[in-house]
Amino acid sequence: MKDNIFAELYNKILGFFRQTEDASKDVACNRLRVVLMQDRTNLTPQLLERMRKELVELLSKYLEMDKEALELNLDQEGEQMALMLSIPVIRAKDEEEIEKALAETSEENSEDIEENTEETSGENSENIEEESSEDIEEDTEDDTEQDAGSKKADKQSAKPVKKFPNKEICGDCRECELSDDIECEKKNGV
Amino acid sequence: MSGRVIVITSGKGGVGKTTASANIGTALAKAGNKVVLIDTDLGLRNLDLLLGLENRIVYTIVDVVEERCKLKQALVKDKKNPNLCLLAAAQTRDKSAVTQEQLKDICEKLKKDYDFILVDCPAGIEQGFQNAIAGATEAIVVTTPEMSAVRDADRIIGLLEAKEEIESYRLLLNRVRPNLIKSKDMMSVEDVVEILSADLIGIIPEDTGIITSTNKGEPIVNDEKSLAGRAYMNVARRIMGEDIDFMNLEEETSVVAKVKKFFKGLMGKEK
Repeated sequence: MKDNIFAELYNKILGFFRQTEDASKDVACNRLRVVLMQDRTNLTPQLLERMRKELVELLSKYLEMDKEALELNLDQEGEQMALMLSIPVIRAKDEEEIEKALAETSEENSEDIEENTEETSGENSENIEEESSEDIEEDTEDDTEQDAGSKKADKQSAKPVKKFPNKEICGDCRECELSDDIECEKKNGV
Repeated sequence: MSGRVIVITSGKGGVGKTTASANIGTALAKAGNKVVLIDTDLGLRNLDLLLGLENRIVYTIVDVVEERCKLKQALVKDKKNPNLCLLAAAQTRDKSAVTQEQLKDICEKLKKDYDFILVDCPAGIEQGFQNAIAGATEAIVVTTPEMSAVRDADRIIGLLEAKEEIESYRLLLNRVRPNLIKSKDMMSVEDVVEILSADLIGIIPEDTGIITSTNKGEPIVNDEKSLAGRAYMNVARRIMGEDIDFMNLEEETSVVAKVKKFFKGLMGKEK
């Protein structure tokens, strides 16, 4: 009991001098969240970095952006997992530039992408918080997740999460402020 | 009668699986249930020590499997509680001496005569763990509010979820230190529950009484004054289906709380 009292007093006095620092339990919580996300998905920091680079490559065809500041994070709220991508956009490229960038890539790819080109060029926001395309998220998981028993694997591949924490801009048409794809598709009559 | 088979597991070693097994088993028996504790930690048996039964063991689980004795002969009755008995692990053999099928078979047989079969699982996620969960339909995952224990618990939960036979699992948070949580130097109960997104079955405070009770070979639930003992009793009652509130550990540390109040009074204008 005596120990307890002294320990508490000691903690109090210490606490007085380090109020500006993060509490150690918050550090622990944050570190754990990151490490558990990696454990559960088998996404190593190396793979995440690779994913980041590929996304930069893809997106820089359409937008001029701060490549170094692009942030890619996996986040979890309750049962669902979300991939968060934050890109500081410097400016949107005009049509010519986009055509040029696309011409450099192989023909197969450009066919798929051209449909989106016009829609994207109209976009002029400075800082978009957007979700990376579902395909990329799922493909990466398929590659890395051969361990079928791994926890939460089923949950996330079954339902790719769509979450837009700050600015909400529709991933499909890039004009409406929706976080729900279904409604957007209705609007566009797809 | 068809008893419930509950495995007590954790992944990480040293978080209190065996202590939890001994105490929950004793508590369930005290409440009038017929209980068998199975120690599956072959080569590193300790459950007998915590129950103070180390001198009474004649046959072990390996003797049962290799048919040197009948199952009933290998069950050692507890000193105090005739409702409780132990099926000890062999100290001289390794994990391969018993297979998953054999353990499943033993659990099936015991189900007929007992209300609860508690399986004390070895640390790790290898064969010993797979054996221990083979016969179980429920699991208690023991963890502490430390990073390594929580991470290992998450791994274990993943493995339990992948196993069809396990219908439910719940979290037992052990060695909780309310004063450290208050000073934000330890993850709180809520933090751990949120990170693991699992249901709680109990919160056990850190208690020096655990050490002395282990020294004596007597589970701490037998000491009704002890905080950890009462917490384990509550766990047993929750297993039996009763709805019991979790203890407020801060209020429970009565002497400390009083002294603290006294100090707070003295230094009242500190904030």
